[in-house]
Amino acid sequence: MLDDDAIRDRGIPKMILRNARAVALAVLAAVPLAIARPAAAAKSDDTLVVALQRGITSVDYLYTTKREYIILSQLTDDGLFDVNPVTLEVEPLAARSYKWVDDTTLDVTLREGIRFHDGSPFTADDVAYTYNYVIDPKSHANRSRQFAEWLAGATKTGPLTVRFKLRYPYPLALRAMGGSMPLRKKGAYDDLAKTGGKALGQTLNGIGPYRVVSVEPGRKTVIERFDGYYKDSPKGRPAIKRMVFREVPDWGTQQAELMSGGVQWTYDVPYDIAESLGSTHQVTFVNGPSLRVGFIVLDAAGLTGKDNPLTRRDVRRAIIHAINRPAIVKNIEKGDSQVIDSACHPAQFGCAQDVMKYPYDPARARELLKAAGYPNGFSFDLWAYREKDAAEAIAADLAKVGVTAKLRYVQLPTLDEARRKHEIPAYFGSWESGSIADTAAIAAVHWSDTTDRNMSGDKRVTEYMIGAQKTTDAKKRAALYEKGLKLIAEEAYWVPLYTFSLNYLVSNDLDFKPPKDGLPRLYLAKWK
Amino acid sequence: MLRYVLRRGVLALLVALTVSVATFFLLNFATDPAQALAGEDATPEVVAQIRAQYGFDKPLAVQYGHWIAGLAHGDFGDSYHWRSPVGALIASHAPVTIRLALMAIVVTIVIAIPLGAIAALRPNSFADRIALALAVGAQAVPGFWLGLMLIILLAVKFPIFPVSGDSTWRHFVLPAIVLGASSVPSVMRLTRAGLIDVLASDYVRTARAKGMRGMQLVTRHAMRNAMLPVVNVLAVQLGHKLGGSVIVESVFALNGLGRLALQSILGGDVPTVQMLVFVFALTFVALTFAADLLGAWLDPRIRLG
Repeated sequence: MLDDDAIRDRGIPKMILRNARAVALAVLAAVPLAIARPAAAAKSDDTLVVALQRGITSVDYLYTTKREYIILSQLTDDGLFDVNPVTLEVEPLAARSYKWVDDTTLDVTLREGIRFHDGSPFTADDVAYTYNYVIDPKSHANRSRQFAEWLAGATKTGPLTVRFKLRYPYPLALRAMGGSMPLRKKGAYDDLAKTGGKALGQTLNGIGPYRVVSVEPGRKTVIERFDGYYKDSPKGRPAIKRMVFREVPDWGTQQAELMSGGVQWTYDVPYDIAESLGSTHQVTFVNGPSLRVGFIVLDAAGLTGKDNPLTRRDVRRAIIHAINRPAIVKNIEKGDSQVIDSACHPAQFGCAQDVMKYPYDPARARELLKAAGYPNGFSFDLWAYREKDAAEAIAADLAKVGVTAKLRYVQLPTLDEARRKHEIPAYFGSWESGSIADTAAIAAVHWSDTTDRNMSGDKRVTEYMIGAQKTTDAKKRAALYEKGLKLIAEEAYWVPLYTFSLNYLVSNDLDFKPPKDGLPRLYLAKWK
Repeated sequence: MLRYVLRRGVLALLVALTVSVATFFLLNFATDPAQALAGEDATPEVVAQIRAQYGFDKPLAVQYGHWIAGLAHGDFGDSYHWRSPVGALIASHAPVTIRLALMAIVVTIVIAIPLGAIAALRPNSFADRIALALAVGAQAVPGFWLGLMLIILLAVKFPIFPVSGDSTWRHFVLPAIVLGASSVPSVMRLTRAGLIDVLASDYVRTARAKGMRGMQLVTRHAMRNAMLPVVNVLAVQLGHKLGGSVIVESVFALNGLGRLALQSILGGDVPTVQMLVFVFALTFVALTFAADLLGAWLDPRIRLG
């Protein structure tokens, strides 16, 4: 404390200095009030803030592939078709109707009154332009090769009618013409073509229910409900006016943002975090299904060595019997996850369930190993790039029957490279099928005769599983998938493990229903 | 002097180039940029499309040659991940890191130097022990933990500061405290040791004989000489912070250079990582050089000798 002389000498008002401690405390108390931030507004200003672990760097889905971009594209873009979130069936969206003229000719009629976000009318010219642009390799669109594989071209046949010519009958054509193909205004990429095909993706002129307001790459993207959105859209008019997509990479920070009201929706949250935060009742924990399935691919073909124990069917069957899949689902994956018996997701078209089943039975596994000539078990490398906990549980289960699974936990590109070189006897994989509820979405990638993922060495599997995507006859397709899936199960080419679930954390003010196919449709979200 | 500056400049360039070569090859060996860009569930066709589009199918030496040739012409290349010129990308992220680094250094100076001075004035006293305990504590606490604790306390329980983001100065307060705290121990200990040495010198004894005591003695006479090693350490610490703090920028969702580096590494964005490493190396060398000049200004014996 200052004495009276000091106060007088310095000419400081006495009252203040005599009570210096009280003044200091008052100032300290006032600082937080002075700089306190206003309460986070969400419902009150009709703005939904979405937290993403990876920020949006481009709003043009033709030039992106990852999940967060699909979620955003569902809001800003419409394709000709869309998957009904309830039935998971394909329905017309920007298309009013369609007609298969023959197996490779599709006529599509567009809805009237659709407008782009810049107010210009949407016509058949725009549809033909978009499709022909994408299948042109010079476009460098990410799915260019995929579309060019089965689509020969699109031709305008009237102001609102377009004819598509396919190279061969392709059963997934309508699904592919949905979310994977947003529609663009004719000439949208003319300047881009001159710059070598690099899309900047910082602006967007789409026809979806939301328009892009601003993009700060990797930081935040703001979208706003498009007032000119066509009234008869099956998506309906969105309830929420504005959405902000923010990058918040750390789970802990995402939790804090949710608790403080700075964020109202996040997804793909680790189960433990979601459960723990949900139990505080400050936010709502929502668990829902995903089309991702987990599996182990076994080198039945002997690509890593002809004497490889995994070339013996009994050994492969023993492995499936030895893994306690229900326990892994219950204790590790949790939520909506379920054990699978077929090499696909049960919700997918053609995913036959009447296949050979392998209940958890370590005694039976030991018998099979003995019959195969491995009474004392054997050792093999099990490669994995994610789901470390589950991979360790599997290795522990196999150890109980005398099989040593040496875990090789690596990055995905390393696993891909080793598999290309036939250095992998078994790997723990997973596939999400791009949220496509059709077995073709998983079969095409894993069972063709050209992919290194197919380690069965069985031509019949390719014949059935790939043959099913060469016809548009649903009955024929289902029958072929059934044959293929039964064969895969009987020969135990795969260890089908389980489906994954998705965990969402949402504000208590928000009404959000988890989607059946794991693709969140935020245009259906609304405030409570 | 000019020769000295030129020599240091060439050396800096060589260091940066060596680091960039190592970064380029290590990054390409460690990851597949095409797969990283396409994402986990991309079909092989999509990955092949990206590989051809960006020239990842060309030999590494050719790819590196293209980058160096571009650099020589002032073209830093385009980011695969962000689809924009790397130069513009770094320029847009740098202000966040510079702001954070400067605020963090201020936090360090404000805490560490007074603590070091208090400890030096009464060595082995209770105050000295407390100061040392604080320094050791700050060193032992991981940044991500301190960050989350500050968020819980000052952003959730008592919502004074925002949880994350970088749009206002208030967004920088908590991350600056976390980042600044990590440098407190070294700066505080150096200040203490330097001051104890200086306080035992003859000219300080003379000052004491003239009646000077306490902080007045420290600030007017002792501090300037004790600051020499501190300035060098602060320069290195500033270099560290300007190199971007991946953890602090991630925890507080700040879009600075550290976060950009992490995103680029995870995204297999070789041109951006290369350029960032190049810039970080140059920043380090420049700051060390600046610290030398500052040292010469603080201590005439250096510039005269």
